[in-house]
Amino acid sequence: MRRRITYIQPQHVSFHPSQTTLTPNSLAISNLVASREERVTLGFDELTGERLLLGRVELSLIYHGGKQIWQVLKQCHQVHVRWARSEQYDAVSPYSSRVSPGLHVFYSPIPSYGDSAGLDREALCKLLKKVFEPELGCESPEKSFITPPILSTRFASTAAYQFYELLPSLKNLVTYIQQKHCEREDEECYRHVELISSADSIDINYDSISHSLTMSGYWSKAPGGADGWTEVIRKHKGATGQVEVGLLGAEPANDPEEIKMGGLLAVVGEDTELKPTLFSFPSRHHPLPEDTVYSVSFSPPTGLHPTMTISMSREALKEPSGRPDAACALHAYLTLPSSVFGDKYQLSTSDELFLKSHNLVSLRAVAGETDLEAPDWFVPRWGSNWLLELASPSGSDQSLKDWNVTIPLHLRYLNPSESGYRSVSVPWPAVFWACTAEDGTKMAMNPFDRVNLGWEGLFGPKSMFYQLHPSPNSEDALLVEELEVPVLTLKEADGLFQSRVIELGTVAVLGLGFLWVLWKLGLVARSSGIRSQQRGTDKRAKAE
Amino acid sequence: MARVSGSFFRSPSLVYGTAIGLRVILLFYGAWQDANSPVKYTDIDYMVFTDASRYVSRGDSPYARDTYRYTPLLAWMLLPTTWAIPGLFSFGKALFALSDVVAGWLVAKSLILTHRMSPERALKYASFWLLNPMVANISTRGSSEGLLGVLVIALLWAVLNRNITLAGVLLGLGVHFKIYPFIYGASIIWWLDDTRTSARTSSPETRAAEPKSRSSNTTTPVAGQILAFITPCRIRLTLVSLLTFAALNAGMYLRYGTPFLQHTYFHHLTRIDHRHNFSPYSTLLYLSAAVEGTEGASRGFESLAFVPQMLLSVVLIPLVLAKKDLPGSMLAQTFAFVTFNKVCTSQYFLWYLIFLPFYLPTSSLLQKPRLGLLVALLWVVGQVFIPSSSFLAGLLLISLPPSSLSSF
Repeated sequence: MRRRITYIQPQHVSFHPSQTTLTPNSLAISNLVASREERVTLGFDELTGERLLLGRVELSLIYHGGKQIWQVLKQCHQVHVRWARSEQYDAVSPYSSRVSPGLHVFYSPIPSYGDSAGLDREALCKLLKKVFEPELGCESPEKSFITPPILSTRFASTAAYQFYELLPSLKNLVTYIQQKHCEREDEECYRHVELISSADSIDINYDSISHSLTMSGYWSKAPGGADGWTEVIRKHKGATGQVEVGLLGAEPANDPEEIKMGGLLAVVGEDTELKPTLFSFPSRHHPLPEDTVYSVSFSPPTGLHPTMTISMSREALKEPSGRPDAACALHAYLTLPSSVFGDKYQLSTSDELFLKSHNLVSLRAVAGETDLEAPDWFVPRWGSNWLLELASPSGSDQSLKDWNVTIPLHLRYLNPSESGYRSVSVPWPAVFWACTAEDGTKMAMNPFDRVNLGWEGLFGPKSMFYQLHPSPNSEDALLVEELEVPVLTLKEADGLFQSRVIELGTVAVLGLGFLWVLWKLGLVARSSGIRSQQRGTDKRAKAE
Repeated sequence: MARVSGSFFRSPSLVYGTAIGLRVILLFYGAWQDANSPVKYTDIDYMVFTDASRYVSRGDSPYARDTYRYTPLLAWMLLPTTWAIPGLFSFGKALFALSDVVAGWLVAKSLILTHRMSPERALKYASFWLLNPMVANISTRGSSEGLLGVLVIALLWAVLNRNITLAGVLLGLGVHFKIYPFIYGASIIWWLDDTRTSARTSSPETRAAEPKSRSSNTTTPVAGQILAFITPCRIRLTLVSLLTFAALNAGMYLRYGTPFLQHTYFHHLTRIDHRHNFSPYSTLLYLSAAVEGTEGASRGFESLAFVPQMLLSVVLIPLVLAKKDLPGSMLAQTFAFVTFNKVCTSQYFLWYLIFLPFYLPTSSLLQKPRLGLLVALLWVVGQVFIPSSSFLAGLLLISLPPSSLSSF
């Protein structure tokens, strides 16, 4: 097992050597104001259950709950989990990429497992439920996951199956790891794992080529607040696997496609002092200035056809300053729960007037549940993803107001409720500039590279991304919009709105209507029979 | 004023010219609005039809287009909309609008037959359809209901002219197109008795009330009655319509397979959507669908919905009314069918509107203009407000009263 902890200090914060103390067994950090990433990598041997003695590291859960996890992983060609918190956080370079708040799972099975009889199709979902949330709407990849783009106009390289659910808290993950990994008395272990609950984003990756499982967490700031990080990072007991620590800051890069980092590095237990470093690498994800922000809202009344508005600051509309010959386009990647959907025929139109009125350019990709009529209870999968290219103002449009893009959406019918309303949570989309890059192949060599975010796979490998910063207006800083959906009011306890009353009412109305028509027909039949009254007239008419 | 309108209706070319002019103006206006506003004049359904035509033009199935729930004939008919000639995209709308006008012309011709009207008076009543802005609007926006209108009224016209083979073909085609015209089969067959089809004059009809006619029935042998019922005309109509229907379906099935059956027919029998639904069943359907979706158990009550619907529109109304007044019976049948249907959307009203000119000459709605205006107003209010307040408990109460129109 390897561990890598990276602190990224903002430029305006000063660093004093006394904030670190390196001993032969540990590195102590005190009051370091920084963003932090911790990455743990488990190799094949560790995954398959070979027991090793470890220090306090989250993923030794592999050894305890190892059997189950390996049983699932060995069916996977690749599985990637991405989770982001619902509250706004700063994503600093080189961790500037984002996904919509919630739990995203990307999964491809090993083809040979496809038709083997012993395959437990529900194993992955069982594990996800155990680890993340027992109530997860996950039954099996075939039933609950969506399959990527059905209308991709671009080269696509995404996992075969995709799952999403808005998961506001990682409490269950923390408890799971604590129970599986920490010794009963090990308070320090409990506290360290508890740190996960304050993470801003979590990534888990496994693929069958490297046979290694990595888990990383990102914290934009220390959970304590302004005091920064204070912790002791120890080497692993028995020297099993490296523990690497970096204290870094971004430097101006020479090449617009590169990111340059400078600072100090140390391998705990090996190095006797922190070594200065300066290195640069081509990067897929690049940061944008702080004032390039967007916010998302639904203009009231939302009704059954809500319109999502993405407001962007003027600064966000300037093409990122990369290469002069790079072509850039603004995009939004929507993750919609099954209760909300877009009309792919409406959105894929080439009608300039419609697109212009919404400041859209075109629908680039759509995946998932796009049935236009099905009520929510007939939709088995979690929802849908939409990649839309957005318009930016033309050169002549120099107004200083925010730029609004609107996306017409529709709601499915939901189950009746007591109040007559049901609430639906829609995560904010990821909004970003995508630009062509000179050389995409080297980007994977970036030690901080991040792929499998859902949207980045819809672009070719020679692409660079500049994400806008979400900037919520509300005080709770949530990147999730709540919609109130009108549904049938149904109070089973008492009153007018019981299902029994509706049934009887319908029967009564229809019955009375039916009887009334019968009565009227009876009157006609009684007064004049059922035979013709105008035989002669008809003949005459024919003669005419 | 009266004299002006009088001379207006005396000139068929003026009336038809106005009807065509109205539609041409709307077609051009629609093209202008589509080109200049993000809010389109063209109906969403028209996009579905033309998308389906595009699939057909590429050799694919029209059912490759989601929500295409019509016969492939429609997509074939609209193939010219896929040709790369400017303006031809509106071909279908022009076709639907033309169908409208032809339907209006047939209404006028039929009125002369059924109501012994002068051509001028017939044209006046046909103008409820011909010059109705709502009708012109719907077809120029690209809704295919105008095609149904012309099929159904041509069926009536063919029957009135004793052109049984044509009537059979039209009936088969109409049912293939939209299922519901099968209800007219019942009234037409009942109406087509010996007295209509044979030259000899039978003994004067007894105007006696039902009990008396029933008692006279019991004296006649049942077998004889059945034999008397089976006339060559009735057999011909039945066979021709069934053959047309079967041939069309067999052809379409061979070409497009199960998706054709699924989308053209089964969808309408099993559909569960309660969106934009004016039916009195809508709340119940929503409720039972939601319960079924979550608990997996159906209450089953709504599956009996077809009983009152079929009893009225296929058996009782034809039986009582068809021989007295065939178009009136067809109007009442359509109304009962739509009213007691589990799903009812706004465009269904065109189905019975085509028969309104046959009913209005004797209607209290025209004799008492105030009542007529009130009913028209209530109907418009219902059209406007029901979709936006689908969850009102009162929906149950508003949905049914339109059937008051259907009872004479």
